[in-house]
Amino acid sequence: MPTMRALGPGSLSSFLKTVLDLVWILLLVVLAILAASLLYGVLAAVNPALPFARLALFEGLDPLQAWAVVLVRLLTAFLFVAGVQVIVSRLREIFATLKAGDPFHPENVTRLRVVAIGLAWLELVRYAVWILGALLPPPAAPDRPNLSLTAWFSVLVVVVLAEVFREGARLRREAELTI
Amino acid sequence: MPIRVTLDRLLVQRRMSLAELADRTGLTAANLAILKDGEARALRFSTLEALCRELDCEPGDLLSREPEERRA
Repeated sequence: MPTMRALGPGSLSSFLKTVLDLVWILLLVVLAILAASLLYGVLAAVNPALPFARLALFEGLDPLQAWAVVLVRLLTAFLFVAGVQVIVSRLREIFATLKAGDPFHPENVTRLRVVAIGLAWLELVRYAVWILGALLPPPAAPDRPNLSLTAWFSVLVVVVLAEVFREGARLRREAELTI
Repeated sequence: MPIRVTLDRLLVQRRMSLAELADRTGLTAANLAILKDGEARALRFSTLEALCRELDCEPGDLLSREPEERRA
């Protein structure tokens, strides 16, 4: 049975790199839209004469309160997508080395560490949203987040993987200088 | 690395250039330069055998141990 190669040009890594490239572009567009929405939200909150400035999304909230809720949610989405963008960006760089057939590139250690920090960031954003949500009026307050053991486990796994790659990079360097 | 490859001394004694040794052993000149400059981390038996064969020497003639204080 023919098996698909995992590394090198035309391999599974190559396919995943293409997928990550597309996701990266998509995330850039989403980030730009969120940034523009945030900016407009701030302007609309202070200037009721702007179109859509008099929001009536939440019952019992005046437009300023409604904008506060929307802005907090937009900011949350922005921070979350920015975290995902950083992770995808580093994954693209890692997969570029896998596509080139060079998995133990020394830079991959730092890239994996950034991915771990990014994953932790996404979790922390969830908790921050909940804390911030407690300050919002009741209809807009988000639900209490559950502690995701899977997410923190993933963070630790990626930290360990980064060290595995460090060892791989060291062995590669040794092999290069073995004559 | 306290172990030093004394390739430069043997090349002078045999009146042989690095390029000629590379040609005769099948090793690249770049790898031989790494050996000569003391940047190599390890030496394969096959490399050692090829060098000894072409330089007509024993492994002990190619390697020397530098005292710790002479390093760095």
